[in-house]
Amino acid sequence: MSLPRRLWRPWSAVPVHGWAAALLIPLFILLAWFTGASVPPGAVEISQAQVRLLGTPVANDQTVSLPHVWDNTRRDWHDRAVYTLVLPASLGTEQLAVLLPRASTRFRVLLNGYELFNGYWRRGEGYVDTGSRSHVVALPAALLRTDPSANRLQIELQGESLRTSGLGPVWVGSRDSLQQRQSWLQIWQVNLTWMVAACAFMLGLLALLIWRHTAEVLFGLLAGGLLTLTVRLFLSAPLFIPGPFWVWDYLHKLSFTWYCGFIYLFMAELFLFGQRKVQRVVVWMMGLAPLWLLLVMAVGDYRLYRWWMGLIVLVCVYALVQVLGRVRWNTDTNQRLMAVVAFATLVTGVRDFLVVQLGLPGDADIRWMTPGSMVLMFTMGWVLMRRTTEAFDETRRLNAELARTVDEREHALHAALDRLRVAQTQQVLEAERRRLTRDMHDGLGSQLVQALQLVRRVDRPVDPAPIAIMLGHALDELRLTLDSLEPMAGDLPAVLGTLRQRIEPGLRAAGVVLDWQVQPVPKVAGLEAQGVMHLFRCLQEVFANVTKHAGASRVTLRTWVQDGRVGLSVCDNGVGLHANAAPSASGGRGLANIRLRARELGAELVLQDTQPGTCVTLFLQVQPLEPSGSQPRQPASAGGPV
Amino acid sequence: MPAKPAAPPGPLAGDNTRLYLIEDDPLIVQFVRDTLTLRPGWRLLGLSTSLAHACDHALAAPADVFLIDLGLPDGHGEVLVEQLAQHRPDAERLVFTVFGDESRLMGALEAGATGYVLKGCSALELITAIDQIRSGGAPISPLLARRLLQRFRAPAAVTDAADLVTVLGETDDVAALSPRELEVLQLLALGYVNKEIALRLQITPATVGSHIKNLYRKLAVHSRVQMVRSAQARGLL
Repeated sequence: MSLPRRLWRPWSAVPVHGWAAALLIPLFILLAWFTGASVPPGAVEISQAQVRLLGTPVANDQTVSLPHVWDNTRRDWHDRAVYTLVLPASLGTEQLAVLLPRASTRFRVLLNGYELFNGYWRRGEGYVDTGSRSHVVALPAALLRTDPSANRLQIELQGESLRTSGLGPVWVGSRDSLQQRQSWLQIWQVNLTWMVAACAFMLGLLALLIWRHTAEVLFGLLAGGLLTLTVRLFLSAPLFIPGPFWVWDYLHKLSFTWYCGFIYLFMAELFLFGQRKVQRVVVWMMGLAPLWLLLVMAVGDYRLYRWWMGLIVLVCVYALVQVLGRVRWNTDTNQRLMAVVAFATLVTGVRDFLVVQLGLPGDADIRWMTPGSMVLMFTMGWVLMRRTTEAFDETRRLNAELARTVDEREHALHAALDRLRVAQTQQVLEAERRRLTRDMHDGLGSQLVQALQLVRRVDRPVDPAPIAIMLGHALDELRLTLDSLEPMAGDLPAVLGTLRQRIEPGLRAAGVVLDWQVQPVPKVAGLEAQGVMHLFRCLQEVFANVTKHAGASRVTLRTWVQDGRVGLSVCDNGVGLHANAAPSASGGRGLANIRLRARELGAELVLQDTQPGTCVTLFLQVQPLEPSGSQPRQPASAGGPV
Repeated sequence: MPAKPAAPPGPLAGDNTRLYLIEDDPLIVQFVRDTLTLRPGWRLLGLSTSLAHACDHALAAPADVFLIDLGLPDGHGEVLVEQLAQHRPDAERLVFTVFGDESRLMGALEAGATGYVLKGCSALELITAIDQIRSGGAPISPLLARRLLQRFRAPAAVTDAADLVTVLGETDDVAALSPRELEVLQLLALGYVNKEIALRLQITPATVGSHIKNLYRKLAVHSRVQMVRSAQARGLL
């Protein structure tokens, strides 16, 4: 075993949620260390300010503690207000700056009546929230009065309805120290938000693609959750977006509702909550959210939004309780992992609540939820990846099983087909054997028997001439049978040409001239061995009639194509059909034989008395066209008999 | 069965054809000997009754015509035909066959036979066959012609003579058919005999015979080319 494997072995038994917990605990310790209550060196926090609501003729000056959040006060605190702060005398006048971690939604800073900085103060209509990031404003020494108590720092704010507005803590002190602090806050408030938004977008797209391919609802829900989270984070970033503020703020709030809804449904699906009623409530809330939030926007009452948020938080807490209660610790590693990470995310949320809202020790400008949500997001992606991998493995296993089964069935089918083929071959062989036996018996056998009888006749000396003729006939018969076994593939001219070799010497001997007028024709159906033999016998009979009874001097054999059939005619110039059929019983038998063979061939037989002479015509069926189109071309001269 | 002329040809002036017979059946040997008596100028140069003997003696024999039985007791006559085609390309190689079995005949022709004679033929038919082959002709049956057509068509799907010649010309100059040879072959496959073909194509029957002989020669070349190609395709060459 290799060294890495040996080292890994003791740890391989640790479950995945154990590993997650082991990673999260140091992460929390690091977070707590980095985000403990920190005071920038050389700076002091101003905890009180005098505030005056602008745009109202009534004097309303009051002293408030910082941070001062407008949503907690009257509804009309969303217009403009000015905070006046007294700079501590202990700071001196050199290299001073002021740090504003949260001043929303737009602000400007004035020192002793001179404007030092403005955050989108005069930019016009648009969506922006300067509270989404911290600002450092340098206080020029030239503007500071020699009497420190006479210096007045004014921070004017423009608030927005239904948007957390107000002035957060204000730090004054060493410029370098505050800039360093601002850089640190930039990482947490801005960079991390963008990073989470980018990851959510990519993972959301990936989940969307997988959902489109697999149609698994889990991926659809995750895609919905992550893409709405992307919208939410995009609208939480320090950006200026043109257009009415309320439209974008509406989207900001709606995306949060939908994000929570999708994540709840995802968890319910993953952990098989089975709480159909709660799920229906969630779906109902997601459907209602656009209208409800529109109503909230129209009324402009922050309490309505707060109730809505309270409901969402309740559902989320319920979901978490379900997760922790339903997780199958012993069997499902995915559920265990999700439970651990969801709990950790809850811890980050609780921490933020305690520090920011209740003032417990800790850096209120740094939220743990941002990295917490990123860990949750990646965990969800990880769980889905594992599920997909498991699904693929299962699919592969099932495919292999299916392939094996198909293979077995295919083998069985092949075996059955082979048996069938063997049986068919045997059947065909048996039929051929019977046919050959019959042909041999009728043709060759009888010829040989006659020859034998001639040889055995003891009363007379053996005359070699008739025996030679008979043996010659027997040989011809055998050759004819063998010719019929040649693979002709429906080639009628080849069949006729072969027959010509057998019959022409007889015709010549009888003084009959053979006029060969064979044209190329399409392949003929039924011309396998048996069919060839039928045609041979049929034409043998016809030519025997010509030589024995017709008294003809010329016989013409012709082929042509007519009405999709192949015509084959044998015409002589002899005495004609009537004179020919009557004289002997063998002539009548011959005709019956021809009819029988033609019927076996599936051919139409036509007998014509052409005066002079007889014409025997067979109309044969054409073979069905082959896909490759291997039919011979029709000769231009093909037509009916002339 | 060979296509026969209307009348058997008489002895050619100064005809002193030398024959070599490879045959194990004593009756056939006797039949050939008896037949040769009809042509005093012809001479039986040698006789082998086995393939081994033939391989040792026939290849070196200065015969004009070799009569070869395909069914020898110690092997196939095709082997001898192939060797004779290599060592004695100028001599005629006439094979004996019992029934005109086209499958076996094709094998012999591919090996290099230039003609065939059916066993059981008369003495006159044997003399005619030898005369025919000596005068540049060759026998052929419609079935054999059909087989040849199929064989030459095999390299590509072609529909007419021009296409066939083109295809064969492109793939194999040596074994390509000329348009005339193709016409002759097509008419033979339709069952026409040499004389009828000569009339239709307005050439002499002897020219038809020489076309047939050329077809056999090209079949042998074609077969060898196909073998070489097949070997090349399998990476053997």
